[in-house]
Amino acid sequence: MERKKSPVLSSILSLILPGLGQAYAGALSRGVSFFLGIVLAALLVHWRQAYLLYIGIVIAWLWNVWDAYNLAQEKKLSPTIPFILIALIMYIIGWGVTQIDLERLFTNVADVKPLVTSLIQPAVLERDIEQLVAEVKFESPCSDSPPEKGTPSPDEPYLILVDKTCGDPGDTFTVTGGNFWPSTKGYIWWSNLAGEMQFRVRYQGDFLTFQTDEEGNIPPTTVVVQEPFAEAKGKGPQLYRVQARMQREVGSPHLSQTFFLVVEKMLETIFLALMATTIAIFIAIPISFLAARNLMGGHSVTMFIYYAVRTILNILRSIEPLIMAIIFVVWVGLGPFAGVLALAVHSIAALGKLYSEAVESIDPGPIEAITATGANRIQTVVYAVIPQIVPPYIAFTVYRWDINVRMSTIIGFVGGGGIGFLLQQWIRLLMYEEAGAAVWAIAIVVALMDYASAKVREMIV
Amino acid sequence: MLQIENLTKVYDDGTVALDNVSFEVPDGEFLVVLGLSGAGKSTLLRCINRLIKPTAGRIIWDGEDVTAAKGDELRRIRRHIGMIFQEFNLVERASVLTNVLSGRLGYVNPWLSIFHYFPKEEIDRAMRNLERVGIANLAHKRADELSGGQRQRVGIARALMQEPRLMLADEPVASLDPVLAHSILRYLEQLNREDGITVICSLHFLDLVRRYATHVVGLKDGQVVFQGLPEEITDQRFKEIYGEEAERVTIT
Repeated sequence: MERKKSPVLSSILSLILPGLGQAYAGALSRGVSFFLGIVLAALLVHWRQAYLLYIGIVIAWLWNVWDAYNLAQEKKLSPTIPFILIALIMYIIGWGVTQIDLERLFTNVADVKPLVTSLIQPAVLERDIEQLVAEVKFESPCSDSPPEKGTPSPDEPYLILVDKTCGDPGDTFTVTGGNFWPSTKGYIWWSNLAGEMQFRVRYQGDFLTFQTDEEGNIPPTTVVVQEPFAEAKGKGPQLYRVQARMQREVGSPHLSQTFFLVVEKMLETIFLALMATTIAIFIAIPISFLAARNLMGGHSVTMFIYYAVRTILNILRSIEPLIMAIIFVVWVGLGPFAGVLALAVHSIAALGKLYSEAVESIDPGPIEAITATGANRIQTVVYAVIPQIVPPYIAFTVYRWDINVRMSTIIGFVGGGGIGFLLQQWIRLLMYEEAGAAVWAIAIVVALMDYASAKVREMIV
Repeated sequence: MLQIENLTKVYDDGTVALDNVSFEVPDGEFLVVLGLSGAGKSTLLRCINRLIKPTAGRIIWDGEDVTAAKGDELRRIRRHIGMIFQEFNLVERASVLTNVLSGRLGYVNPWLSIFHYFPKEEIDRAMRNLERVGIANLAHKRADELSGGQRQRVGIARALMQEPRLMLADEPVASLDPVLAHSILRYLEQLNREDGITVICSLHFLDLVRRYATHVVGLKDGQVVFQGLPEEITDQRFKEIYGEEAERVTIT
């Protein structure tokens, strides 16, 4: 006979600590669920300081008292109400934690427009660029013999100084010129005398531009004297080149440099996946035999190896390839080799498991039959085991290579080589048209691999 | 002469599959082992070629202790014991010829065989054995393209490659329809009569037992409950082996 439970005691227990009354009434797992559910929800509400949600917790708590009262009388209520309450609290908190803001989806559409437009028009084609340059020398700071203002040329593009030929950094001076393409926009460049240090001059944040008239003359343009380059600091008066530059596209469109760069990096990506997969195959095959229960069972030593190998594979598989790539980048340096290692280690773990399951699912019949003919162990493996595992091994390998190509396209984001490295750089430099080319290349290659691997697997299995 | 003495097999989970089984099989006999599923028939046959290691008891074949044999010696014994199976146990993705040749693995050079090399005379032997079971034309088909009856004939051809003096047949016709069952058993009968191969075959159907067996051993719960000639199995005896609810199923 079971001892009678007191409903009052049970409900008081649950009032003190949710779930305690249920545990007292003999429903231990129900009690643990109530305890965890209510306490965790309360902690989360406290953390988010969403005090209004305490109402829900109070209701759930009271329901839990009522449930404990009923349980003690062996009446089991359906816990739908507290379940919905707790779930609701979780979703409200989740909404806040993940900062869901649907309004922004609509108000910030303009920000994504250039990116999307560039993705639609990737920098695959380009035209040759023709450039016009004219320059004049300027001195900063002034010396005893400042340079000439320069003379207009009758037919060549030219640039001359109008007011000053020297000045301190921060001063302004005026340039003018002629014989450029008419009605075209151009930029002012600043470089040291040797010419290896150069940049486009900015004025109030934007690049300093000029617009030629119908005759191709540059209107007087004010330029600010730039700070000296680092190596010229404190060395007294220096000469600088002030240039006017103009560019235009000529000729017919042809495949861009970006295109060839993307193709090259894409090939690197595919090879990265190939090498990683191949390395993984050679290591995963012997491991898979150690991780197959049907081969390792029957002896405590082999079973220990089985569990050890399984555990290592499970741990390795739970580490994302991207995290592994970060480790290998530190280890062997930036570049595709780090990516190969990261993907190989992850693939060993994944293939090891898949292969070992293929070994576990083989039909023992042929093994029995071949053993019965008087064949030795190696012959039995060659004639009865290998024919059965080759098709699934090939299928899993192709599938893995497919996944590795996919992974290797982004492993470059953390420095693991391949096209991801380029993509990530272009995005950071806001070179969206180039990034678009990379994104397209990834999409095409991944889709092709996906199709090819599905076909191969269809053929084999 | 095959002598089975006090053979007992207890599996790891405690199941007693064979309980002190003893009988003798003179050379040239067609012995049928009769019994329900789980009566220990398969375990008994597998103990004879040591696919299963018995817990206790001895099996003596032509004066040699099979139960004590190890390694090379065991393999040498095995290669003279052919075996065919209910589920045929062919390597499905290999060709018929490869399946048949694999029956010869106990004889050929093991290193060459790993690279699937077999001498010409072995390939000829395989073709002769396929002809014998009437499917030489299927030699280069894949085993999984064959029908059940054809597969079992491949199984017989594979066993014949061993030049067996003893043939174990574990419910060879249980996966086949009645017409095919007779054709397979007739091959076994032919081997038994013409080649003098001793056959030990487990069967379910009494009609087949009466038609083919020269001697019968009945097993129930791992124990021998009947030993004698097929004619001696009356309906009463049959019920002793198969239990009270058993009804005889007629097969023609």
